[in-house]
Amino acid sequence: MAFNSHRDFFEVLEKEGELARVKKEVDWDGEAGAIGRKTYESQGPAILFEKVKDYPEGYRISNGTTGTWSRVALSMEMAKKTSVREIYKEYEKRVDIKIPPKILKKSDAPCKENIMLGDEVDLHQFPMPLIHEGDGGRYVGTWDVVINKDPETNWQNWGMYRFMAHTKNWLTGWPQTTSQFAFIMNKSYLPYNKPMPVAIVLGADPLSHIIATAGIKPYENEAENVGGLRGQAVELVQCETSDLMVPAHAEIVIEGEVMPDQIAPDGPFGEYPGYRSGTMCAGVAVKVKAVTYRSKPIVTMIALGTPPDDSSIAASLTAAVAMKKGLIRHGVPVTDVYVPPEGVTHLIVIGVTKGGTETTRKVLDYFTLRRIMTNKHIVVDADVDVFNMAEVLHCFATRCHPGRGILYEWYEGRSNSLTPFYNPEERRKLKGCSVAFDSTWPPEWEKEIVPIKSSFKTIFGKEMVDKVNNNWDSYGIKL
Amino acid sequence: MKEWQTFLRRFSDIQEGKRELFIKDLTAGKAKYATKHVIGTVAKSKTGLEDPDTLWLRGESGERAREPWYISIEQTLEEDWVPGKPYEDVLEAVGKSEKERGLR
Repeated sequence: MAFNSHRDFFEVLEKEGELARVKKEVDWDGEAGAIGRKTYESQGPAILFEKVKDYPEGYRISNGTTGTWSRVALSMEMAKKTSVREIYKEYEKRVDIKIPPKILKKSDAPCKENIMLGDEVDLHQFPMPLIHEGDGGRYVGTWDVVINKDPETNWQNWGMYRFMAHTKNWLTGWPQTTSQFAFIMNKSYLPYNKPMPVAIVLGADPLSHIIATAGIKPYENEAENVGGLRGQAVELVQCETSDLMVPAHAEIVIEGEVMPDQIAPDGPFGEYPGYRSGTMCAGVAVKVKAVTYRSKPIVTMIALGTPPDDSSIAASLTAAVAMKKGLIRHGVPVTDVYVPPEGVTHLIVIGVTKGGTETTRKVLDYFTLRRIMTNKHIVVDADVDVFNMAEVLHCFATRCHPGRGILYEWYEGRSNSLTPFYNPEERRKLKGCSVAFDSTWPPEWEKEIVPIKSSFKTIFGKEMVDKVNNNWDSYGIKL
Repeated sequence: MKEWQTFLRRFSDIQEGKRELFIKDLTAGKAKYATKHVIGTVAKSKTGLEDPDTLWLRGESGERAREPWYISIEQTLEEDWVPGKPYEDVLEAVGKSEKERGLR
């Protein structure tokens, strides 16, 4: 039985020892963020802050619901100890299954238990956290699902973008200029000076949030992918002020319009690469028209920063599987792709059956073709377990030729301006550079000159490996 | 005396005199960090300012300047925004608006 809501998932997290309920009063102004950050950095539990300063009993903040691989496994109804490789495999299998959403009547949707409309809207009635000291504002949208719609095709796009409270009824945010959100806005609203309806959803079921981080292709409705991933239709309900459809069991839905001719400051914010860098005052402004919410609402937070956290873990999964499919379509003989959370989607590991310069060039071409969120790509041979970073590092150190094995490419207008090492001018112009490290043996080398990896499994014959394995207990060596 | 904060690309971008600014209210409570769009006189020293409030400056990475400035708010603007297209630079748009108001 799939989880319908954020709250359903908490029950399982609690049973599995993966949830801490903080009953002591905690300040939304920095303290909740600091606790969340410290907990991430120790790979601690998900947190539910049950008493938040300045707010009534029942108004809560959560952090880190899928911030570890164990919790991602639980969200997919797999065993807590499932390996990363198995989680990837299962996600890859399920993500292309499409199950259309089920539409609920408004009266049946828990997210409509309370409604603020028009002049009643006051975002300050919700415990929106100031996550990091020095952030540009209270980021209510971090672990969110942001929905906008292409009016020509009815494609409803789901993404995950940051949004902060500007005033009691305005939000500002920064969906990247290369995002599908911006694609729809630039195509169908800005040229006609039309406000664009948007819904910012907090506290949906866990897989809706994970899918919001995924690079699902344009014109595909993520709600159908969530259904496939859950094995059960996701339940949606129509917004009060637009025809956008939102997860019916969400904690809070903020409905508004992105203004085509009005702007206000967003940022800076401690972002997913693990830094607060100079991306600010260049986003969008949203006039909030309604807020619908469950009684005793939960504001979902991710105290973003250095990995791991929900963002780096979810993106590791969703980005890697999308990249693997894309690389295969691009003609790269891929075995597997791993996006190590520590590399915050800047560093990608690609296993290939046939390496060399030609393959590595193809890999770099694929990653620099359109919008570019990654910048370092390590291409390894099939004998390397891409999920084992010790093996990957050994391979990179020993097989990548510093003179011949490093390919790079500059570009402008499509880089990721959150990349910390870009200077202000590069960030402004979206100018960047990507590199691929060919850490494979040249395919033209004769077999006799390819160095043999000196590991237990590779430098001894099968007979010796079997003999040692079979006799292991008798040697008296405990491993 | 109330406390406010404002964000700049560089601390050196701010100049004394009458300015248009987005400022965030640092008064404790539910509405802390709410933004106001104001016209006010800003200065490094409160001397000579009428009914001054403290104005903390933060740079584009969120770093706070060691010493505060001061602001005497003369007008709270009705609009919570400045004219501009999504993704245009808000600080440049504010600069343009200041020019149109004759503040620069």
